Amino acid sequence: MIRFILADIRRFRAGALAVVVLIALSVALCTVVTLQERAVRLGSARAAEKFDLVVGAAGSETQLTLSAVFLQPAPLPLMPGAVLAKLAADPRVAFAAPVGFGDSASGFPVVGTTTTLIASLSPQLAEGRAFARLGEAVLGAEVPMPGGAEIKPMHGTAETGGHTHTELAYTVTGRMAPTGTAWDRAILVPIRAVWQLHGMEGDHDEHDEHDHGDHAFEADESEAHHEHGHVDPAAPIDERFDADMPGLPAVLVKPKTIADAYRLRQEYRGETTLAVFPGEVLTRLYATLGDMRSLLLAIAVGTQAIVVAAILLVTIMHVGARRRQIGALRALGIPKRSIVVIVWGELFLLFAAGAALGISGGYAAARLISALLTARTAVRLPVEFSAADLPLALGIGLAAALVSLVPALVALRSSPAEALRA
Amino acid sequence: MLSLSIRDLEMRFPGLETPALAIGNFALPAGGRLAVTGASGSGKSTLVNAITGLERVKSGAIRWDETDIAGLPSGRRDAFRARHIGLVMQDFHLFPGLSAFENVVLPVRLARRLARPEAERAAMLLDTIGIRRPQQAIETLSRGEMQRVAVARALLSRPGVLVADEPTANLDRRTGDEVADLIIRLAAEEKATLIVVTHDPQVMERLDRRIRLSGGRIDEDSAGTPQT
Ligand SMILES: Nc1ncnc2c1ncn2[C@@H]1O[C@H](COP(=O)(O)OP(=O)(O)OP(=O)(O)O)[C@@H](O)[C@H]1O
Ligand SMILES: [Mg+2]
Repeated sequence: MIRFILADIRRFRAGALAVVVLIALSVALCTVVTLQERAVRLGSARAAEKFDLVVGAAGSETQLTLSAVFLQPAPLPLMPGAVLAKLAADPRVAFAAPVGFGDSASGFPVVGTTTTLIASLSPQLAEGRAFARLGEAVLGAEVPMPGGAEIKPMHGTAETGGHTHTELAYTVTGRMAPTGTAWDRAILVPIRAVWQLHGMEGDHDEHDEHDHGDHAFEADESEAHHEHGHVDPAAPIDERFDADMPGLPAVLVKPKTIADAYRLRQEYRGETTLAVFPGEVLTRLYATLGDMRSLLLAIAVGTQAIVVAAILLVTIMHVGARRRQIGALRALGIPKRSIVVIVWGELFLLFAAGAALGISGGYAAARLISALLTARTAVRLPVEFSAADLPLALGIGLAAALVSLVPALVALRSSPAEALRA
Repeated sequence: MLSLSIRDLEMRFPGLETPALAIGNFALPAGGRLAVTGASGSGKSTLVNAITGLERVKSGAIRWDETDIAGLPSGRRDAFRARHIGLVMQDFHLFPGLSAFENVVLPVRLARRLARPEAERAAMLLDTIGIRRPQQAIETLSRGEMQRVAVARALLSRPGVLVADEPTANLDRRTGDEVADLIIRLAAEEKATLIVVTHDPQVMERLDRRIRLSGGRIDEDSAGTPQT
């Protein structure tokens, strides 16, 4: 039986190949959409779970989350430095780490923060030690620079036309262990170095505070408004913060208990500040993404239906052309069930081959896309199948099995004599 | 060996005023050897289709021994044909992509497991008909060889009757004679009733009995007066 089916497929190999490729493409499309959506969702949920609460200046929750979780270079409004001091002193807070964005080096974001955050992201450094002086830096696991390297930060990014800070070069003292988050591509430096580099520290009068109020770290800031301070790279870092600190875009907070987390969020949602659970914001974002996925999947399934219909048409025509052959089989007294199995089996074999190719191709494509995205953002996007895919796969399999039955049944409608005359 | 008896058979096709075939009474004893002749369109193939169960018969009876094939549903007709009737057609209806041997055993293989004795018999039949390389791909055989393979296939399951519809029409004179020879010889050896549709006087001569169809009726029967 299988020999006969294979001999037959060999005879129509061009057509068979076309059918397999068509099915493989449409199945691959479905697979990629499903896997990729899941990868993005899982990957960023994992990236977000490091920080329970993010506090920033009043503005967009989404932007604050994306900047804090993905270190996306976007101009964030600044909030008063006193917020950091208040949070750091709060007994409900396990730790509060400031983050200052805006600079980059060789395309990697330079983030000003404290050693607390380094200890939280990577309790055990992969290499070296944390920074202890203003002119020192710790690398994320995936920043391809050697220990001891000199880093010249650039204001903004090269693409947005930033300029290099010539006043200071950081020296790399350590490297964090991989975290699977955007921080793997970050260069962590002392927050005070960032402040001083941008001329913000020790200059706390109202005027200056205001001057830096909205756009302090923006790349498109004009030179005239931009003062550069001088930084002493050998000065030891000071991580005690008081109410006189300059403005900063965000503080990452680890509350002691869940109840504390909710209370803190409540308290810091106000006129000037905004507090968000990044996980929650991302979930809301993915609800939209989920809708997108449904839409894409509907399109993919639609394509699939069209492909199946086209294949059905082809096979019915094919069976028409094969009526003589089927007539001959029946003239030889071969039972109808065997003929059904042959015609059905041949088609189903093509369907199955196409589906197998499509699923593995789709998986490979999703892996590739994830790898590309990871290379750019350092956020690990896990491509994996889940039990939720099973009903869809079974459904498609069942539909294919039923559809393949149609030509077989069509083939048996006429008498063998009629079929032989065809 | 099977005997054939036909009663009040009438085959009509839509769009035809007169029946394509009308046979009131006809009998062929077991082991009989019958030649069927007649002009083109006289109903020869229609007769073959009716007695082999390839076409549904709506009126009349066609009895092979005790089985009225006209009364059977199509599935049972297929099964009866597989078991009792060896069929050789004008176009050989062999299956490309398979070897000569595989073509001979195909009807058995697609219906059930091929048993050892059947495989041996297939090899023996191929040897008898003069196919020296049973594994040769079927599409590389000569036309004469192809039709001989078709004869071997028809005989594999020891049918009680061998029916051939113009088996030599697609072959040249000499090859045709060889194939006709083979059919007559093997039908005798296998003790099968033989019915051959043919235009070849030489073939007719070698069979015991000859009927001629005209307009769907038997207008000449070498065994006696034609019945209507
Ligand atoms: N399915 C059909 N529908 C309509 N008419 C048919 C059908 N099958 C056969 N006929 C008609 O029945 C008549 C007998 O046809 P048949 O094929 O039996 O002739 P034949 O004797 O075998 O001819 P040939 O020697 O050319 O093979 C013809 O007139 C043919 O047109
Ligand atoms: Mg004919």
